[in-house]
Amino acid sequence: MLASFDWHLFWSAFSSGPYWRGALTALELTAPALATALVIGFFVALGALSTRRSVRTIAWLYNWFFRATPTLLQLYFVWYALPEYWHGFAQSWFTPFFAAWITLSLNEAAYASEIIRAALMSVDPGQELAGRALGMSRRRILQRVIVPQAVRIAIPPIGNEFITLLKLTSLASIISLHELLTAAIQLTSAKFIYNEPLLAALVYYLVIVSILMVIQSRLERKFTWTSRGRRRTTAAPAVSLVSHDAR
Amino acid sequence: MSYLRATDVTKSYDDLEVLRGVTFEIDPGQVKAIIGPSGSGKSTLLRCLALLEEPDRGTVTLGDARPGPGEVGMVFQRFNLFQNMTALQNVMCGLVEVRRQSKSDARKAALEFLARVGLADKGDQYPDELSGGQQQRVAIARALVMRPKAMLFDEPTSALDIELVREVLDVMESLAREGMTMVVVTHEMRFAHNVASSVLMMDEGRIVEEAPPEQFFTSPREERTRRFLSLVE
Repeated sequence: MLASFDWHLFWSAFSSGPYWRGALTALELTAPALATALVIGFFVALGALSTRRSVRTIAWLYNWFFRATPTLLQLYFVWYALPEYWHGFAQSWFTPFFAAWITLSLNEAAYASEIIRAALMSVDPGQELAGRALGMSRRRILQRVIVPQAVRIAIPPIGNEFITLLKLTSLASIISLHELLTAAIQLTSAKFIYNEPLLAALVYYLVIVSILMVIQSRLERKFTWTSRGRRRTTAAPAVSLVSHDAR
Repeated sequence: MSYLRATDVTKSYDDLEVLRGVTFEIDPGQVKAIIGPSGSGKSTLLRCLALLEEPDRGTVTLGDARPGPGEVGMVFQRFNLFQNMTALQNVMCGLVEVRRQSKSDARKAALEFLARVGLADKGDQYPDELSGGQQQRVAIARALVMRPKAMLFDEPTSALDIELVREVLDVMESLAREGMTMVVVTHEMRFAHNVASSVLMMDEGRIVEEAPPEQFFTSPREERTRRFLSLVE
């Protein structure tokens, strides 16, 4: 295999416009989708932890719906069926990118909410008690005490989610969004050469995920509370991770 | 006219009645120690006094009103320092977030109170880097900086290694000497004997007996108190 490896072809694929634009699209979709998912997921998690039964039910229904149905089906639905419900979605602003963003955000929010819920629950209840004893409002306690400590616990599994989401963006090729994998497939089917174009795409993914891992470890250190910023010897409590196999 | 007062307080968790109509009062400058077996309702009484629990029935008053935010300070068995804040930030937190003081004013006051518990040089350390005794002293400073009218201590030395108990008791004793109104749930009988103005025995959600320490420890009136004291001494 390596004997016939065409470095020139590999490099021309790797440096081609469709590849890096595709990679950029994947990143441009992943980052805002995850950000939106974290915001929605945070409120779904708060809902799931609410003392009010009706609120808990809504949160449960949300997670049930978005985790039970395939992401691909959701993507099809948003892209093809939604414009039939409301013609506003049939306008030109509703691009494949926008449809993918909406779908992945809503979908990912369900998974993120479970991570956030577990992280919030793992913070020692004594922390809230101490805040209340000082006279802090529940909202302040959440802002200043609970959320920062939950973030520390949620960072590793959220890093996982980023990676999953990055790879899920390739699903959007079915609604004609040109991201990295689309570029690779197009190249292979144009030339009937597979090795070099696919490897070039693979290297892109490796590079992106490596950069992400560096950012993640920086973040983890930032949310470790020792004066010298060294790592804590005790590991953060285990968080139940959602399996992605079924997506 | 009593100062901090719980009147006929009842509290249940599900079917378990933890407080069965407790009336408790403490005058300014008094120190009351509460002893009793676990599950007797001592901690729940403190939590009701700190308004961390809402009584099912009965009222809690400070003077003639409900205590305001930070007016009744609370110190916990397990310190409960905010893990994501330095010692100094812990002490500043109430002033900034509740009293809406400027950061610089809060910092000045916090440093003063850290010095008072002997930890002026530990302000930049996080709770993880402090010993249990130091953490508990920071927790005391965090409550004191709010200038509370009364301080509640829920077994403040029970989670400490034996050699760290003294430093916390020293801080509490100096507070008592300065005239702080204090309610202390404790197993430290020596502390109760030497510092408290009166000692209460609680059992099964009721106050069984209350007496000045000398009388309480040498000639308790109630059989239940005698039995408990014989077990802990």
